[in-house]
Amino acid sequence: MSTRIVVDPVTRIEGHLRIEADIENGKIKDAYSSGTMVRLLEEILRGRDPLDAWAYVGRVCGVCTSVHSLTSVRAVEDALDIVIPPNAEMVRNIMFCAQYMHDHVVHFYHLHAMDWVDVVNALKADPKKTSELAQSISNWPKSSPGYFSDLQKRITKFVESGQLGIFSNGYWGHPAYKLPAEVNLIGLAHYLEALEWQKEIVKVHTIFGGKNPHPNYLVGGMACAISTDDVSGLNAERLAYVEQLLKQGKEFIEQVYIPDLMAIASFYKDWGAIGGGLGSFMAYGDLPWNGYRDISSYKFPQGVILNKDISKVYDVDLRKDDEVQEFIDNSWYEYKGKGGLHPWKGESKIKYTGPKPPFENLDTSKAYSYLKTPRWKGNAVEVGPLARVLVGYARGREDFKMVVDKALKDLDVPVTALFSTLGRTAARGLESVLVAQWGLDFFYQLIDNIKKGDTRMADSSKRSSSKWPEKALGVGHSEAPRGALAHWINIEDEKIANYQLVVPTTWNASPRDAKGQVSAYEAALRDTPIADPKQPVEILRTVHSFDPCLACAVHLYDEEGKHISRISVLGD
Amino acid sequence: MEARLLIMGVGNYLMGDEGVGVHAAQLLSRLSLPPGVDVVDGGTGGFHLLEYFEKYPRVILIDATLDGNKAGSIRLIRPRFAADFPKSMSTHDIGLKDMMSSLQLLGKIPDIHLFVVSIEFIQQQGVELTDEVEAAMPELLQQVTALTDKLVFPSEPVTN
Repeated sequence: MSTRIVVDPVTRIEGHLRIEADIENGKIKDAYSSGTMVRLLEEILRGRDPLDAWAYVGRVCGVCTSVHSLTSVRAVEDALDIVIPPNAEMVRNIMFCAQYMHDHVVHFYHLHAMDWVDVVNALKADPKKTSELAQSISNWPKSSPGYFSDLQKRITKFVESGQLGIFSNGYWGHPAYKLPAEVNLIGLAHYLEALEWQKEIVKVHTIFGGKNPHPNYLVGGMACAISTDDVSGLNAERLAYVEQLLKQGKEFIEQVYIPDLMAIASFYKDWGAIGGGLGSFMAYGDLPWNGYRDISSYKFPQGVILNKDISKVYDVDLRKDDEVQEFIDNSWYEYKGKGGLHPWKGESKIKYTGPKPPFENLDTSKAYSYLKTPRWKGNAVEVGPLARVLVGYARGREDFKMVVDKALKDLDVPVTALFSTLGRTAARGLESVLVAQWGLDFFYQLIDNIKKGDTRMADSSKRSSSKWPEKALGVGHSEAPRGALAHWINIEDEKIANYQLVVPTTWNASPRDAKGQVSAYEAALRDTPIADPKQPVEILRTVHSFDPCLACAVHLYDEEGKHISRISVLGD
Repeated sequence: MEARLLIMGVGNYLMGDEGVGVHAAQLLSRLSLPPGVDVVDGGTGGFHLLEYFEKYPRVILIDATLDGNKAGSIRLIRPRFAADFPKSMSTHDIGLKDMMSSLQLLGKIPDIHLFVVSIEFIQQQGVELTDEVEAAMPELLQQVTALTDKLVFPSEPVTN
């Protein structure tokens, strides 16, 4: 007899996800991941002007708004055979790096840290000892005993007033929390500092994209004109501000995020053997140094790793009919034919066959999700920071090897510890270090180019649809913070005839396929120990390590905005 | 000039009535408003919006709600804590509520007037509003601009 627990929703922010897990002998025997509401972006885009698609897709979610817009303009540029000027490429890259830094720091402190850091326990910390510890792991200036003691008083006030706010979803006091009170207090302090910091780095988007949230993109380049004397254009003062923001971001990542990550990880090394999951990974690659079409110039290399074998990396071709395909054997959709569909032939017709809400349990012997099941050559693969870091490592890139090997050495864990919940969370931090440096590299490249007299920011030669072919197919890809993202577009008679998005969370959170192969979440949850089924913090640790965001995959409405966990006993 | 008042509409523009706040912000940005009043389309901004709430001492927020009232009903709420936000505040409520909690923790929560517009369901796809919610728009804009005037020119006699 096994006990089934339900955690719904699992996400802390935009978009929602439901996990049903069968527990036997204190471990997860099997798990089901379901996206329980739908958002048909494909339908909204059909018949619209391809040049406007970026603005619609950018609205899909508030968290990674700019990566969808970026991927969309790349898809249209691919379809219409447009090559953007180097300056536009650099500006896109800089915005992308800023997005990464923002997203990863917010994920670590605001969406994931509370799975490891016990906020209530932090109130018991000795401020003096906390200060000594903080100063031993970092040069970050805000680390005096007075600073930590003031913070403790502030938080105590909230706890006593019953106004725990954002912290009310935690399983405080759970035996799975292992940090000393002083480390908990450092984590809490930086939770608050990261809140203040994150609003700075997004200004990079306002400067280049004209506004934030939902910055402006442009098919053919970027909409920010370089101008040395115009106050409203991209002038020297604004560029200097971008440099300052990027430097501050790098400093925060190096002096706060990474030391915290390593300090916390050192108490949770057992999670280096839990939550590994599929062992197969995919990255499309991104951050071109020499143009989007030159894949060899990408800072994030492209590739697929199968079955933990990092001695071999396979190439990915998003145009090939038999590589990326989406299946619906366990999804609430119907296709005209059978089997998997390449996204250029993709269909998005809903056919809900699940129970009528509200319901206790999904019938997981039938279709159980609004997510389709994407596969690469029939393989289930994980996407995201761990995939990117492993592909970089396996491709033999020195920059990746350096940060990864140092982290493994500092934590004194074997390389196999990367295939785990801890590895996934660590990979996000490690790539943040790389991205913070790349952001500055791209910035100096942009400045260098401008100094040489190149001020081109867009190729407008194809703005007029009279120059377009009657029919055109395009694909745009990116490495969104959560993983490999691609948009496929069919343009017919100057309009969008079909538009398909295959988003990272769909790769990771999808239901199993016709062969019974599970996707990344379900694989990673298997064998996870659950100390107390009423407080399944272990499920949150592993699922949150993927940084789930279902806004662009599906959408579920929940009344309370809380993690709901329910337990029922199954008959078999 | 130092900014004094922010009007922000939030919501998801792709989900029909859920985006009523965004529609309102877009219309308001075309109106002539008193100096020092800024209008922002907050979209589904979540944490990205934190800076706006820190920068302005007073904020008029416009959002959709699933409060069970007739679609297009307008209510004015004065939330002081995240917990004061109506429970079923549309689909982006978690991000917004989290942000409010954060502001509260940072001790920087501004003076907020929240207009909520009732919608019936959120599973709509598309950028159009339903007739019921569309019909409420003139009244919503009138109430927002009247409150704006009242907040910006507190000494002048108020007629409503």
